[in-house]
Amino acid sequence: MTKMRVNPNRMELLKLKRRGEVAKRGHKLLKDKFDELLKEFIKRISENRKLRVEVERRLLGAYGLLAVARAEAGKANLTQALLAGEPGDLVDAAELRVMSVRVPEFTLGEIPEPGGYSLATMPAVLDDALEELAAVAPMMVELAGREKAIELLAAEIERTRRRVNALEYVLMPSIAETVKDIQMKLDEAERGNLTRLMKVKDIIAAQEAAGER
Amino acid sequence: MARIAIVGDSTSVAGFRPLGFAVYPVERPEDARDLWAGLVGGEYGVVFVTEPVYAAVEDLAAEAIDRPIPAVTIIPGAGSSGGVGGAKISRAIERALGTSMLIREEEE
Repeated sequence: MTKMRVNPNRMELLKLKRRGEVAKRGHKLLKDKFDELLKEFIKRISENRKLRVEVERRLLGAYGLLAVARAEAGKANLTQALLAGEPGDLVDAAELRVMSVRVPEFTLGEIPEPGGYSLATMPAVLDDALEELAAVAPMMVELAGREKAIELLAAEIERTRRRVNALEYVLMPSIAETVKDIQMKLDEAERGNLTRLMKVKDIIAAQEAAGER
Repeated sequence: MARIAIVGDSTSVAGFRPLGFAVYPVERPEDARDLWAGLVGGEYGVVFVTEPVYAAVEDLAAEAIDRPIPAVTIIPGAGSSGGVGGAKISRAIERALGTSMLIREEEE
């Protein structure tokens, strides 16, 4: 691991030790966050899979009914019949916070009653098709919200994992190594000082002994 | 309150108009690229796209992925086999976990 480029003195040593402590605390916190996110995530994906399969199955069923209606009424007539209806504000999009991730929560409002076409000219199967679509619409909206939440959580999990890894494998070892390095340098300087002192003491003692003689 | 948009071939999406969805029928999936900016601008809370349309706008849709709104959701179109939406989620799972092993375990 790469050492940091700092001056090997006590000041830097203290600073680095403090940074090391903060990094350790941050790492622990992030790791906890990561675990919790993962728990939430896994819970959601298993719920989601069932819902998606169900939505896809029912949608394909409804398309089948629409195809029958088209065959009975003719394409132009059906297109005409389905022109009725105005796009309205259907969903209420609230924002939830899951582990500091903002996820949307959609609630479907009132769906207008399908109609506006001539019951005389349109086959009954069209009613069934629209009823089925109306029944599957809340599930689709639910699915949309859940899948969005999964995507957002996935992005957050990825970010958190990178941070945890960066702290664990880059910053913390690098600080630890630098601290060790500074400590060794300081120790070495201390030993150098000590031997110098001893040497000086010896010289002085030798000079005093020579003066007494 | 927000609106719901649905983009796809007219056969698949026309049935949603009576339900109050904003329906954008496209003849070719690529045509959806021109509509895209309007769809993700904030007017719509949920945008449903059929599988062929999603394949055509995948790169554009990726930009909206980190925003809470709109939620772009894939639905099967009439005549498509389904499974693309599941694959999109699988990719998100892989992104999060670094593996898709877990999913297979659960399916068994």
